Amino acid sequence: MKEVVNTKSVLQVPKWKFARLNTNFSVSNFFIYGAGLVVIFIITCALFPKWIAPYSPTFMDTAHTLSAPNSAHWFGTDYFGRDVLSLVIYGSRDSLIIGIASVIIGGLIGGIIGSAAGYFGGFFDVVFMRFIEILMTIPAVLLALAIAAALGPGLFNIVLAVAAASIPGYARVMRGQMISIKKRQYVDASRSIGTPEWKIFLWHLLPNSWSPLLVMATIGLGSSILIGAGLSFLGLGVIKEIPDWGALLSQGRGYLTVGWWICTFPGLAITLLVLSVNIMGDKLRDTFDPKISKMR
Amino acid sequence: MAILNKILLKIVTAVVSIFGSLVLVFCIIYLLPGDPVLSMLDPSVATPEMVANLHKELGLDQPFYLQFLHYFMSVLHGDFGQSLVNRDLVLPKILEHFPATLALTLASALVSIIIGVFFGVLSAIYRNKWIDFIARLIGLFGISMPTFWSGILLILIFSVFLNWFPAMGSDGWKTIVLPSLSLGFVGAGLIIRMVRTSMLEVINESFIVTLRAKGLSERAVMYRHALRNALIPAITIIGLNIGELMAGTVVIETVFSRQGIGRIVADAIMAKDLPVIQGVVFFSAIVFVVINLLVDLSYSIIDPRVRRAN
Amino acid sequence: MKLVNQTKLVAILLVFLLLVSGCASSSSTKNSSSQETNKEDASKPKSGGELTYALATSPDSLDPARSGLAVAVRAFRTIFDSLVVQAPDNTIKPWLATAWTVSNDGKSYTFKLRNDVRFQDGTPFNAAAVKYSFDRILDPKTQAKNAVALLKPYQSSEVIDDYTIKINLATPSASFLSNLSQAMLGIVSPTAAEKYGDQFSKNPVGTGPYKFVSWSENADIVVQKNKDYHWGPANVENKGAPYLDKITFKIIPEEATRIGSVQSGQVLAAETVPPQNIAALKNDSKTQLLKVNTIGLPYTLFFNQRKGPWNDVKVRQAVQLAVDVDSIVKTLYLGTYERAWSPISPGILGYDKSLEGETKANIKKANQILDELGYKKGSDGIRVKDGKPFTLKYVDGSPNREKRNDIAVIVQQQLKKIGIKVEINITQDVATVIYKNADYDLYGNSQVNSDPNALSAIYHTRTDAEEAVFKGLTGGSDPELDQWLEQGTIELDPAKREDIYKKVQQKIIKDAWIIPVYVFPYTVAASKEVKGITFDSLGYPLFNDVNIER
Repeated sequence: MKEVVNTKSVLQVPKWKFARLNTNFSVSNFFIYGAGLVVIFIITCALFPKWIAPYSPTFMDTAHTLSAPNSAHWFGTDYFGRDVLSLVIYGSRDSLIIGIASVIIGGLIGGIIGSAAGYFGGFFDVVFMRFIEILMTIPAVLLALAIAAALGPGLFNIVLAVAAASIPGYARVMRGQMISIKKRQYVDASRSIGTPEWKIFLWHLLPNSWSPLLVMATIGLGSSILIGAGLSFLGLGVIKEIPDWGALLSQGRGYLTVGWWICTFPGLAITLLVLSVNIMGDKLRDTFDPKISKMR
Repeated sequence: MAILNKILLKIVTAVVSIFGSLVLVFCIIYLLPGDPVLSMLDPSVATPEMVANLHKELGLDQPFYLQFLHYFMSVLHGDFGQSLVNRDLVLPKILEHFPATLALTLASALVSIIIGVFFGVLSAIYRNKWIDFIARLIGLFGISMPTFWSGILLILIFSVFLNWFPAMGSDGWKTIVLPSLSLGFVGAGLIIRMVRTSMLEVINESFIVTLRAKGLSERAVMYRHALRNALIPAITIIGLNIGELMAGTVVIETVFSRQGIGRIVADAIMAKDLPVIQGVVFFSAIVFVVINLLVDLSYSIIDPRVRRAN
Repeated sequence: MKLVNQTKLVAILLVFLLLVSGCASSSSTKNSSSQETNKEDASKPKSGGELTYALATSPDSLDPARSGLAVAVRAFRTIFDSLVVQAPDNTIKPWLATAWTVSNDGKSYTFKLRNDVRFQDGTPFNAAAVKYSFDRILDPKTQAKNAVALLKPYQSSEVIDDYTIKINLATPSASFLSNLSQAMLGIVSPTAAEKYGDQFSKNPVGTGPYKFVSWSENADIVVQKNKDYHWGPANVENKGAPYLDKITFKIIPEEATRIGSVQSGQVLAAETVPPQNIAALKNDSKTQLLKVNTIGLPYTLFFNQRKGPWNDVKVRQAVQLAVDVDSIVKTLYLGTYERAWSPISPGILGYDKSLEGETKANIKKANQILDELGYKKGSDGIRVKDGKPFTLKYVDGSPNREKRNDIAVIVQQQLKKIGIKVEINITQDVATVIYKNADYDLYGNSQVNSDPNALSAIYHTRTDAEEAVFKGLTGGSDPELDQWLEQGTIELDPAKREDIYKKVQQKIIKDAWIIPVYVFPYTVAASKEVKGITFDSLGYPLFNDVNIER
């Protein structure tokens, strides 16, 4: 469901004229900086969990299972006696991998299909876009579900499922962008002075068309993590020594009444990351132009 | 005449899309590893003959293209096959459960619109004030929370502790409140943003300026004119996301034990009930295509600008 | 202007609050009325009322022959009766059959049947119906599941007269009567089974205390009182028609939702209470907690002896010593599940109590064994032999039933201590991974059963033909074990059978074929208004005595 964010939120045209008028207002900046800090912190956790986590994420202290947050375990312990804080810190890695890898794969494939279709037009366009339209008839979550079921559980399979489900969105945006830039004067101008076609494609078209893709990717990062969590909930997730946040959340949900901390902290971590990423995406959307809206 | 051709073209495109999704769904399901027959038999008593017989009975011994052709012809005759688990006909089963899912989807859309418009308007009125940011933050929270988590939280708060609404079931309006809140919250995030932006745009448009100049009260301007104009895009965006809302029911129907096609597909995936997975995914593709076709057509008929552009 | 906006805001908020409180008050009034208690005449069960009972999963079929799930039995046990019933002390008592004799060679049983029983559709119950029910299971068209295994070694039935039937077996079978008591061999109405064919599973008709009303998929199964019922079995007090008018089995897979529904009073009872909720519910003044250990094969981890090094008894023993089952059971089930020690659960004929306490975790000894076998610990702590790291592929099914996936997570950490790297594979497709490809080193399973003969299906050597279709769980072969299991199947003297099965259990544990983990307790959380939920010898709920006191 969360998928809505990346494919269709591009619809609206946030010309935040007022935000630009009232430059003295700082709440907006506060959110952006806050979001930036959160993202940087989470990336640090993913890169160097050993430095930050107080315990090993696999250490099971069976004498202290289900203990509430205390001075020794800030986020409490889970039903295995593992330290929830350490699990959340280590779990950031796989969560980010699911988010980033699926966005990169989906964005790359979608971007290539979209730009090829937009640039070449004609036959390519018809064939590719027909395929994309067919993919779009199946809601992203259902598509991810079917693919994840087909491939079986596994981190990489989840990434693939989520990536495949997000391809159509990227392809459409990229194609629209490509078509609109292709017609711009500087492209014609460049062509008229004899620049080879591949150079035009690489130097003018690509660099100028990828910004909306970046916006989508930012927001898509969040929805990928959410879809991954949803797959975990439906039993299509992975059991790993160090589970990702989605798995932690879905595995701990049965303990909500006796140990709220087990799934609340991973849940908050997901929400915080997706929230921050969305705030940054909003900002990017404002910075890059409002033309994105025309893409659909 | 041109319009008629246009409409015809759109219908043809829609049919092609539906056929394409049928092929796609069939391929995905075909690639599912494992033999569905094995899960239908009891390991302690099955014989090779039983396995072979079942393969034959289900047509699984035939090559891919024949299986597809067979499925395609049956679908043309309105036969989506039989469930492997309990021999139910797939299409009647989908049709039986679809209304519940549709009700949940529409209720969620309504919740999205109510929450979204409420906070969106607040956000626009108090633009760049704290209220604005809080409203937008609430919206972002909606799209940043896994639905199964918010669903369980809602059950704990509103069923177990407060006992206001039932925790599960699909009979009576009360059972739809919590699931549609949980699902609708997601869509609300999109709408808040949408309503805010379009209201800010509308506020600056000449007719509003004229109304203001005529001495109309600010409240009347906001609610009678600006909001009405902002509602249209809100409903449009929900219309466009109806497919995703419907897909969201896969999780929500399981959490709240509601009947519906989302639950059916979730169960079918667990049980490797291929004809059912195939049927539901294909069915939702049809629903999506038809809704979009209707939206498209209604645009080109209602909105003179679109008509002229075409 | 600003003021105007704020009043507007306040007004909107007020409307919201009103709406919310409106909902609240309407539901709370309804609730308080339902909690009014009626204390008159507490001694005699009250007739009437509806029991709502939440099931954890959806039944696969309500046709006893076609079902393979315990959850289905819980629902259709109310609809179908059996020829005999197994009392809590494992003796067999009459039910639809009033008396029986066994031939000297143990290969034929002659049953005298009740002559006053009718199916819920009016069809008279007689010998022909019994013959039909059993022959139907063997008919390939029925596609029977577990019933086929239970009916073995059934060959044919002869109708002697209307109320006498002779059943012929291929070989003597000590477990036959006990199997007959199971709901999956319940007697079905021949007219209804013929009429509905494939769809009998959605239109079941039997002779049970409740008759089927409706099954709406993923929502509920409704059965109502069979007014004519007066042939209740020995294990219930009320032999007549049940007190309840109706039972609605609600299907609620999500744990939190299921327990939430009992706590909020939306259902009166819910099955399979997660261990972590048991303590809280025990202290809840409005709910009661019922618990009964199921019998059969406890949840057991099986080594796949087809693959090296698991064909080496020493390696298996090392793993057996390294897995601290006590710690697993204590951590995950918080003292609500009992640890299993044997391949069969307590309560079954021949259960060997002497095995309890025998297997103790001993990391040092496990390490020592592996050292002796030449597995050397590498720098990462994982043992290596012949250049290959020592890994164990642990397969488990999804979804995470009874926290079985969590057992895998703990075993992974425990085996790390002796230098074995555990790869966990959670699959939805157990049929392919385990039974077709046998692609596992360790896999866990359990089975509800009433007779130790169930061991034979798991531990007896399988023929190549059998293996070609479905792989066995152990992949092992032991002539001595085979011989005992064959004896146990046909030995009719209970005392001798007990001895045989004790030897079997000891051998299986000593040779470390398996690691038994826990005995599954069936738990029900119910409102205190609900009285008289009882359980049969297998741990399935019985609703004959249930009444609701308000």
